[in-house]
Amino acid sequence: MLMNTKSGSMLNQVVGFSRALHRAGVEVNSGNVIDMCHCMGYIEVQNRPDFYAAARATLVSRFDDLEIFDTVFNSFWGMPMDTLEMDVPQEVDDADLMDMLEEGGEDPDSMQQEDDAAEGEGDSDEPGWSPDEMLLKKDLAAMSDKEIEQARKVIAEIVNIIANRRSRRRVPENRGAEIDFRRTWRKNAAMGPDGVELARRRRRIKKTKLMVLCDVSGSMDCYSRFMIQFIYAVKKEIPDVEVGVFSTRMTVISRLLKTKSVEESLREVADEVHDWAGGTDIGSCIRDFNEFFARDMLRSKTVMMIVSDGWDRGDTGLMRQEMERLRRRVHKLIWLNPLLGSPGYQPLCLGMKTALPYLDYFMAAHNLESLIELAKTLRSVWR
Amino acid sequence: MFKSIEDVEKQFAGEGYIADRTLATTVYLAIALGKPIFLEGEPGVGKTEVAKVMASIMNTELIRLQCYEGLDANTALYEWNYPRQMLELRLEEARGESKEDIGGNIFGPDFLLDRPLLKAIQYEGENPPVLLIDEVDRSDEEFEAFLLEVLSDFQITIPEIGTIKAKQIPFVVLTSNRTRELHDALKRRCLYLWIDYPTFEKEMDIVASRVPDVQDELARQICGFMQLLRSRDFYKKPGVAETIDWALALITMGSEDLDPAVVDATLGCILKYKEDIEKIQEDGIPQVIEKARMLRERMARQTAKA
Repeated sequence: MLMNTKSGSMLNQVVGFSRALHRAGVEVNSGNVIDMCHCMGYIEVQNRPDFYAAARATLVSRFDDLEIFDTVFNSFWGMPMDTLEMDVPQEVDDADLMDMLEEGGEDPDSMQQEDDAAEGEGDSDEPGWSPDEMLLKKDLAAMSDKEIEQARKVIAEIVNIIANRRSRRRVPENRGAEIDFRRTWRKNAAMGPDGVELARRRRRIKKTKLMVLCDVSGSMDCYSRFMIQFIYAVKKEIPDVEVGVFSTRMTVISRLLKTKSVEESLREVADEVHDWAGGTDIGSCIRDFNEFFARDMLRSKTVMMIVSDGWDRGDTGLMRQEMERLRRRVHKLIWLNPLLGSPGYQPLCLGMKTALPYLDYFMAAHNLESLIELAKTLRSVWR
Repeated sequence: MFKSIEDVEKQFAGEGYIADRTLATTVYLAIALGKPIFLEGEPGVGKTEVAKVMASIMNTELIRLQCYEGLDANTALYEWNYPRQMLELRLEEARGESKEDIGGNIFGPDFLLDRPLLKAIQYEGENPPVLLIDEVDRSDEEFEAFLLEVLSDFQITIPEIGTIKAKQIPFVVLTSNRTRELHDALKRRCLYLWIDYPTFEKEMDIVASRVPDVQDELARQICGFMQLLRSRDFYKKPGVAETIDWALALITMGSEDLDPAVVDATLGCILKYKEDIEKIQEDGIPQVIEKARMLRERMARQTAKA
């Protein structure tokens, strides 16, 4: 066990360790640290596995933090346990740790960016292209400010329909459809059997979580104005909407959108993603999404909206598999395709054909009329 | 109850649960500090089992609350027995009690139906009960608020009666499959433990302990196969529960080692989705078995080196 005279330094060490964790991005509060200190009374502090287990149980509360915790733990307590009781100047430790964290934190990212950049250059030469492109471009470019205002209203209505779903919880309501037996008993307990008055209830309205994935590849370039308006309108209705953009790589911009306008956020992502407006690989983008973002962002009742023309240069097998996965994780899957509105369009391109079986709704979104149509459809079928 | 961390490991093993050092330490500390344990991990790694084993070690009752969306206070905490209250009123009336006395007693403990959380708080047995709050990630945010009072102070406030404090602090286990993040306030009150898929050696121990009839060589093949499957990209990776089911199935069928026909016939024990089964069949079961054998040999060499 620790000697009493040295326990002060041990406490310092633990506090230093919790600070290091905090700096590395693990949320640690003083309650956790106090728990940790309590624990030290019950374990042999020199026994590294036990000390590790105790620290992990008290200072971490999320799976995502475990890896950071391990790294920080090993660098902070890297020395053998019996030398711990010496007073090590704390600043030195922290500085080392910071160096380590900075190295560890930045390198893989910047390397990945380089990779992506290289990939992007190769792709940008041959973006997906459709013969209908010119026609549709005219459609959208011709939108006046007034029409944009109208479009925003329609989008707001669409989002409104999607956002409000009926919860399983009930709330009292005088003209509700169901009889509320609990309240009926209570209400009538005083009156006895004569003159029973029924209490009623209805299902509560619950806000749905909405996730929007926008295709920003080359073939979708001409709809970018629409896309920006779309995100604005959605965001106004559901402030905590999650938004992702993809071309050959998936980027989630929800966080950026919290502090910046839609245009600014998109510009920032465009700077980072070199193949912006390049080719499309929907399958691997959705795989990235399933792998890295789905767990945090999707709930069982999330409605997922994908805005894309479905032009895809990737592997259809992969796309099929990932669409299927995605389908399982969300409540409803809606695909808005700007091309669908053009006369004679058939979802023949491979990407679109692959995705089609997994969609709940496949709808046009290229001009005002199509949006109004979309709102009508949703209103009649959504529950 | 536990003398040391080694004692936890030993008693868990006695109940057929192979606990690693981290789990044992966390359980030991949870008992020592009187804090709930918050268990996370993929499905089928033995989260719920921890609570069952604890109940059996502590020789006490396991009170289980299965969470679901829409779970509310009336199902989790308590509810008034309305029909009984009505009857009581009628009886009092029939007995001719005075107007003032009628109905004075109907909001007392006699008319309370206890649900799992209240039951755990009021438990009167010799040892504190084990309260299992299973799959807490399935419940909604409102429910977490009910849990907060129970888990921080071990008390429940009923407006008509007052606050009921726990006579003895129950051992609380919360489990989550991590389909959503829980509120920090709730997690702060617990000791956190992530249960990973077992290593090859640990899984061997588990199989030996849970399916004692299995031959050593078959167990080795089974565990190697499972390790390989978990390293692959399946929609639902098989957990330890599947390993045990599979071992039992293979024994029932009288197989002594994994041959492709038997594996194919029993795939349903380990993979629960049609797509996953199709995927492994596409890869070719003989090839997968062969790969599992190579993986096993590599692991054996590594252990020998270490």
